Amino acid sequence: MLAVCVALALITRLLPVSLRTPISSGLRRTVLAPLVMLQERSELSRRALLLSGPTTQMRDSVTMRALTVASLEAENDRLRQVIGLGSRLKWGFVPAEALHGRSVRDVTTLTLTAGSNAGVERMSPVVSAEGLVGVVENVDPTMSQGLFWTHPDFRVSAMTEDASAFGIVQAHAPSATSAYMMELRGVPFRTNLAAGALVISSGLGGVWPRGIPIGRIVQEIKTAEAWARTYLVRPAVFPADVTTVMILKPDRGAKGVDNVWTSAAGITAATNRIIGAGDSLARTAALAEAAARRASVSADSARAVGGVVPPPAGGIIQAPRPRPRPVDTTNTQQQQQSDTARVLQVPEDSVTTRPGAVR
Amino acid sequence: MNWGSFFRGLISFIILVVLHYTLRPLLGWRAPIDFMLIAVLLLSIRVRPGAAAIIGFIVGLISDSLTPDSLGAAAIAMTLVAYTASWLKAVFFADNLALNAFFFFVGKWMFDIVYFVGEQRLDGVQLVQQIFLWSPLSAAATAVAGVLLIVMMRPLLEPSQA
Repeated sequence: MLAVCVALALITRLLPVSLRTPISSGLRRTVLAPLVMLQERSELSRRALLLSGPTTQMRDSVTMRALTVASLEAENDRLRQVIGLGSRLKWGFVPAEALHGRSVRDVTTLTLTAGSNAGVERMSPVVSAEGLVGVVENVDPTMSQGLFWTHPDFRVSAMTEDASAFGIVQAHAPSATSAYMMELRGVPFRTNLAAGALVISSGLGGVWPRGIPIGRIVQEIKTAEAWARTYLVRPAVFPADVTTVMILKPDRGAKGVDNVWTSAAGITAATNRIIGAGDSLARTAALAEAAARRASVSADSARAVGGVVPPPAGGIIQAPRPRPRPVDTTNTQQQQQSDTARVLQVPEDSVTTRPGAVR
Repeated sequence: MNWGSFFRGLISFIILVVLHYTLRPLLGWRAPIDFMLIAVLLLSIRVRPGAAAIIGFIVGLISDSLTPDSLGAAAIAMTLVAYTASWLKAVFFADNLALNAFFFFVGKWMFDIVYFVGEQRLDGVQLVQQIFLWSPLSAAATAVAGVLLIVMMRPLLEPSQA
């Protein structure tokens, strides 16, 4: 038996390719088919197992990138705003990066990456696209130190946008490191400010030019001062969000920054108004179209039934048309001419004259 | 061999064949475990040498069908190994794991030598490297796996008491 099997195996081994191929193919299609399927799945599993590490790494890196997308978009928006501010200021400013304080909790000081070499001077205003940030305190040749508005020593003379009230803005701070709101102090008692009113720098005091947004009124707060009101103000700029700033040079401050921030706000408001108007127009047109379609469908169905046309869905019942009566047509024609006078009062020659014709 | 022993042997044979086509590709070792050879060896010791030669020939031919260029090489090798294992069944009957491991090792190595020589695909240094490096490693892995399987599948592999 051994000899027979070995002989058969040798014969199989020595068969020409044309005969070997159908034999092996037949075995693969019949006996080996389920086993090859099992092997294929095992190979796939092994490949998936081997690729799981790189796949996980790839997924992690994609997730990490996705997480940074939001911050990049925010930074992009902020840089666009800063560029917009620069284009509106036109001259007399030094762009700088704001490096935050020494520790995480230090939100009162900042380091600016521009110094006296760039024209920065002490007590120069530091602003951003949103509004007031702080003031330069110390100047080195290549960098400078500044105070955020959250600093306990920071004060700015302020007023409402309509100049109805003046006061002093400072940090509203239970402690020096937890100031996230401002307060407008010294508002005359007779002046009552509404919540949401914009507070801007008044230009008094010589440091801050007039018109830089500081914040918006939140509510009045009770203090021991009975002769003046104090208001809580939501700041236009939060220190943690400050990255890129503009340092105004003294001569630019002296010239004023009127309409730099207000024009931006106006453009935004106008854009919003235009968008809102467009939306309402589109909505009205859609409603009119829907009503016309409903009326048309109702008329068709009534015609198909052979009955009376039902009233429109809006509930407006059409009154029966009155029978024509003989009227004085001369008066009517005169009235029509007077109502349409502006249309009909066109000079006759302007209608008949063709372009290029000489009168 | 009674029917009970035959069916238990058949079940263990099927399990090992399935392992050959599932676990072996999953492990993907350079020196793979040959579950098919373990299956043939374990079945061969339960039958006569002639039947073992036929089993070896069929299993070898089937496994050859995946490599049409070397069709018949595994058939020759498996026939010889199965016949030898059946002829030496007295040694396999010894309930000694080390001895079983040794014969799994020798069986796999012998199979590889006959197969690669008969296949005539490798020659020179490659053949020597295969026969004296990778084949012994594969034989060792097969021996270890065979011993583990004998321990785990003892209820199936024990000879019938009747």
